[in-house]
Amino acid sequence: MENAWLIPLFPLVSFLFLLLFGKRLKEASAFVGILATLASLVYSILVLLERLESPTHKAEAVWLTIGNLELTAGFEVNQLNALMLVIVSLVSFLVHTYSKGYMHGDERFPVFYAYLGLFTFAMLGLVISPNLLQTYIFWELVGVGSFLLIGFYFYKESAKAAAKKAFIMTRIGDVGLLIGMILLFWQTGSFEYDEIFAAVEEGAISGTMITLTAILIFIGAVGKSGQFPLHTWLPDAMEGPTPVSALIHAATMVAAGVYLVASLFPLFNASETAMLTVAIIGAFTAIFAASIGLVQNDIKRVLAYSTVSQLGYMMLALGSAGYVAGVFHLMTHAFFKALLFLAAGSVIHAVHTQDIEKMGGLWKKLTFTGPLFLIGTLAISGVPLFSGFFSKDEILIAAWAHGNYGLFWLAVIAAFFTAFYMFRLFFMVFTGEARSEMKNVHESPSVMTLPMLVLAVLAVVAGYVNTPWFGAFLGDWLVEGNEALGHGHIAGPGWIMIVATAVSLLGILLAWMMYSKNSISRDWLSSRAPIAYGVVKNKYYIDEIYNQSVVFATKAISLFLRFIELFVVEGLVKLTTATVQALGKTGAKIQNGQVQTYGTIAFVGLAVLMVIYALTGGYL
Amino acid sequence: MDLETLLSFDWGTMTPEFIILGFIAILSVADLFMPKHVDRKILGWVGFAGVVLALASLVSLIGTDTTSILYDTFRLDSFAIAFKLILLLGAALVMLLAIDYKHNDGLEDNKGEFFYLFLSAVLGTMFMASSGDLITLFVGLELLSIPSYILAGMRKRNMKSNESAMKYVLNGGISSAITLFGMSYVFGIAGTTNLKGIATVFGGLTDPQHIYILGLAFFMIFVGLSFKLASAPFHMWAPDVYEGAPTPVTAFLGAVSKTAGFVIILRILLSIFGYVPVAQEDGQPIPLLFAMQDYIAFLAGATMIIGNVIALRQRNIKRLFAYSSIAHAGYILVALTAMSFITFDAIWFYLLAYVLMNLGAFAIIQVITMKNGSEDISHFAGLYRRSPLLAVGMGIFILSLAGIPGTAGFIGKLNIFMGALMVDQAHYVLVSIMIATTVVSYFYYFGIMTQMFFRPASSEEKIQLPMGTLVVILVTAVGTILFGIMPNLAIDFLHTNFNQFMDFMR
Repeated sequence: MENAWLIPLFPLVSFLFLLLFGKRLKEASAFVGILATLASLVYSILVLLERLESPTHKAEAVWLTIGNLELTAGFEVNQLNALMLVIVSLVSFLVHTYSKGYMHGDERFPVFYAYLGLFTFAMLGLVISPNLLQTYIFWELVGVGSFLLIGFYFYKESAKAAAKKAFIMTRIGDVGLLIGMILLFWQTGSFEYDEIFAAVEEGAISGTMITLTAILIFIGAVGKSGQFPLHTWLPDAMEGPTPVSALIHAATMVAAGVYLVASLFPLFNASETAMLTVAIIGAFTAIFAASIGLVQNDIKRVLAYSTVSQLGYMMLALGSAGYVAGVFHLMTHAFFKALLFLAAGSVIHAVHTQDIEKMGGLWKKLTFTGPLFLIGTLAISGVPLFSGFFSKDEILIAAWAHGNYGLFWLAVIAAFFTAFYMFRLFFMVFTGEARSEMKNVHESPSVMTLPMLVLAVLAVVAGYVNTPWFGAFLGDWLVEGNEALGHGHIAGPGWIMIVATAVSLLGILLAWMMYSKNSISRDWLSSRAPIAYGVVKNKYYIDEIYNQSVVFATKAISLFLRFIELFVVEGLVKLTTATVQALGKTGAKIQNGQVQTYGTIAFVGLAVLMVIYALTGGYL
Repeated sequence: MDLETLLSFDWGTMTPEFIILGFIAILSVADLFMPKHVDRKILGWVGFAGVVLALASLVSLIGTDTTSILYDTFRLDSFAIAFKLILLLGAALVMLLAIDYKHNDGLEDNKGEFFYLFLSAVLGTMFMASSGDLITLFVGLELLSIPSYILAGMRKRNMKSNESAMKYVLNGGISSAITLFGMSYVFGIAGTTNLKGIATVFGGLTDPQHIYILGLAFFMIFVGLSFKLASAPFHMWAPDVYEGAPTPVTAFLGAVSKTAGFVIILRILLSIFGYVPVAQEDGQPIPLLFAMQDYIAFLAGATMIIGNVIALRQRNIKRLFAYSSIAHAGYILVALTAMSFITFDAIWFYLLAYVLMNLGAFAIIQVITMKNGSEDISHFAGLYRRSPLLAVGMGIFILSLAGIPGTAGFIGKLNIFMGALMVDQAHYVLVSIMIATTVVSYFYYFGIMTQMFFRPASSEEKIQLPMGTLVVILVTAVGTILFGIMPNLAIDFLHTNFNQFMDFMR
C-alpha cells in the first residue's frame, strides 16, 4: 500500500512510450497498453486486499508554497479509493483488451492507445488524491483525455463538435468546483479532506458557507456526471469510439462526479439544503433522462441517456444520506454499463450501423454477444438476483428512509422506464426479423468477447457483496471507522423490494408486448414462456390501451422534457453564446484600424475614470 | 561630479547592463564594416551570446546586498534581479527566434540592425527594472519604446508592417505624454524625482488637496503605462501592431515588453502611491494605492472581458494572440488589484510562466506562418500529422495559456485566485470574471487544438525545424510542464534568494 502511487504511473509510462514509439509499433501498441493496465489492475487488487485488513494509508509532501501556506501532494488509500482503483483499472484493462479487436485496422491505432493510457493515468490519479486541489488537477486532466478521445474520429464534423462541447460544458461545472474549493480553503486553511471534515465537525465553518461551498462543488459534479441541466454533452460524446464510451462515458469519468460527492460526503451531510439539492437534481435527472431514453433510436444514445439516468440514481442515493447505496450502485453500474457498451460495440462492429430500426433478429447471429447483452439488460433493469437489483434496492430504501417520499416515487417510475427502454432496445436489436439487409454479420473475435464475459460475470455476482440476505459486507467495510458516513446498511420496509421487482418486470413485459410481437421471436418466447404467451394472446386490447394511455402519457412526458431540453437548456446556452458573440462583434467593429479611434478610446477611458473619481469625491 | 566620486560607485552592480551595451556597440560597428554579402545571421548568434553572458553575470549577482549607485538613480535590489531574470530569459529566446526568421519583404537587408536595435530595447527594459528615479524610469521606458517602434516596421516593403510601426509610434507618443503629465504632478508635489525622496515626502502629506491631485496623477500614470501592458483602455493598438510586426518582434512585444510594463508599474505604484495616506472614515489612513483598488479592479475586469471576447472572432493567429495577450494582462492586473502578501510572488511566477508559454507558442507560429506565407488559423489544420513535435508543443502551450492543471499557466492562475480571495475583502466579483473569461478563452484556444489534432492536413509535407527554434520550443515546453508539476522549484528559488522582496524600498 506504501507504493500505491505506482498504480497510475503504469498507464502514464504506456502513454509516453506510445507517443514516442507508437508509429513503429503499429498494432503491437495494444500490448503495451494492455500490459500497463494489467500491472495497474494487479497492483490495485493487492492494495484492495491489503486495505481490507489494515487502516488507511496516506503519504504527502510539500508541493507548492504560497506565501506561508504549504500545499501538499501525495496519495491516500482509504476504502473508497481502494475500491475505485480496482473498478477503474479493471474496466480500463478490459477496454484495452477489447479495443485490440474493435479498433483493428484503424490507421491511428497507436494514438488511440496512447490517449487511453493518458486517460487511465489521469483517472487513477484522481481516485488516489488525498486533497481537493490534486483531485481538481486530475479532474481537469481526465477532461483533456476525454476531449481527445471523443474527437478521435476527427474526420466527422459531429465528433469534433462533440469533443469541444464536452470539454466546455464540463468546464462550466468546473468553475463552480474551483470557486467552491478555494472558498473551502479560505475557510479551513486546507485542501485536505481530513482537515476540511474536522473543521466542519468542529463548527469552524458557518452553516451558510457549508451549504454554499457544497453546492458550488456539486455544480462541478453536475457537469462531469452529466446531471441536469449540464447533461447535454454526454449523449453527444457518443461520437467517440465505442470502447471509449464504455470506459469514459459510462464506467469511470462520468462517475467522477458521484465519486467527488461521495469523497466530500461529510461536508454535504452537514447541510440539509445541499443534501436536498443533490437528491432533487439526482432524482429529476434519473426520470428525465430515462424518459428521453424511451424514444431514442440510436443504440449508443439509448445507453448514454441511461447512463445519465443511472448517475442521477447515484446522486439521489448520496443526497438521501445513502452513502453506501451510492457507492455500491457506482460499482455495479460500472460493470453492467461497461458490459452493455462493449456489447453494443460488438453489435455495431457486426452490422456497421447504430440505428436500431435497421437491426433485428441478431440473437441467432450473435450467439455470444446476445446473451451477454441480455445479462447487462437484466442487471440494469433491476431484475432480482442480478447486481443492479441489489444496488437499486439500496437506493430506493435510502430515499424512503430519508423521508424523500416524492423523490422515491420518481425513482420508482424511472426504474420502470429503465426496464422498458432497455428491453425495447434488446428486443429491437436481437429479436424479430432483420429490418434491413445486413451482410457478413459475424460474431466478434474472442479478444472482444472475453472482456465482455468477465464483465457479465461481474454484472451478475457483484451485487452479492452487499445484500439484505447475506449481509452488507461492502457497506460495513466502507463506513468502518468513519461515523460521518452513516450506516453500512439502512433498513427499509420489505415492500420496497417487491415494488422495485414489480415495476421492473412490468417494464420488461410492456417492452416485450410492444416490440416483440408479430415476429419469429414470438414462437421462441411462447414455447419457453407459456404464461407470458397467454397474456400476449390478449395483446390487442392491452396494446390498444397501452397506446391510448401509457404510450401517450410517456410520449407526452418525454416530449415535454425534450422540449425543456431543446428550448430552455439549449436556449440558455444559445443565449449566452449569442451575447458573447455579439459583444465580440461589437468589439471587433470598434477595432476599425483607425489610429484616431485608438487614441480616443484611451482618452475617453482616462476621462471616464477621472470623472468618476471627481464625482465620488475621491475614492470609492 | 568629479572622477573620484564617479569611481567610488560600485559599478559592478551594472555588469549585465554593461555587457548588453558592449554587445550593442560591437554589433553596430561589425554590421557597418561587414561586407554586404555576408549573412548577418552570425551577428544574431553574437547577440545571443551577449544576452546569455548578461544572464550569467546577473545570476552571479544574486545574493549581493542591495546597492544603489549614481545617487539612488540606479538600484540593484531583489526586485530588480528577479524580474531581470525573466526579461533576459525572454530576450534570449526571442533572439533565437529572430535568428531563424526569414521573410522576403525587406527585413533581409537590415537584419544586422535588427539585432542591435533589439538589444537596445532589452537594455531599456533592464533599466526600467533597476531604476530608483522617475528620470531613469522614463529614460528606460523610452529606450525600450523607440527601438520597438523601428522594429515593428522592419519589414520595409510590407504595408502592414509599415502601418504597424506608424500606429505604434502614434499611440506610444500619446501614452508617453499622458504618463509624463502624471509624473509632473508627482514632481510638483514632491519636489524631487527620486523615488525614495518622493516616498518620504508623500508619507507626511496631510493636505487633502494634494492628495486629491495625486489621485489624478495616479490615473494618468496608470493609463499611460497601460499602453505597455496592452490593457484597457490602452489596448487597441495591440492587434494591429502585433499583426504587422515581424513575428519575433511580436513575440518580444507580447512577452518581454509586457513584462517590463508590469515591472515599471509595480515600481511606480508601490513606491509612490503606496505611501500617500488617504484618510478613511474611521480615521485610520490607508495608502492611496489601496483606495484605488476598485478602479484597478474595474480596468482588470474590462481588460479580461475585451481580450477574451474579441479573440473569439479572430481568424488571424497573430491577432488572436494579441487579444489573448490583452487578456493575460488582465489576469495579472487581478493580482495587482488584490495587493495580498503574495502579489509579488504571483506576478513574478505568472510572468515567468507567461514568457515561457507565449514565446513557445510564437516559435511555433513563426514556423507555421513562414511555411505558409499566411497567418490564417487554418494553416494549423492537421499539424499533428505533419509534425507531431510541433503539434504536441503547441498543445502544451495552449493548455498552459488556457490554465489547465499540469502546466505552469495553471499554477500562475491558482496563485492569483488564492491571492485575490485571501485578502480581507475578497474580490469575489473579479475572480468570477476571471474564471468566466477563462472559460470563454477555451473556445478560441481549443479551436486551435481542434485544428491541429482533429482536422485533416491540406498537405502532407513534413516541416523542417531550424536549430534555434527547436531549442526555444524544447526549453519553453519543458519549462511549462516542469513549473506546472513542480512549481516549488521556481517559488523556492524566489523565496530563498530574494527574501520576499523586503528590500524593495530600502
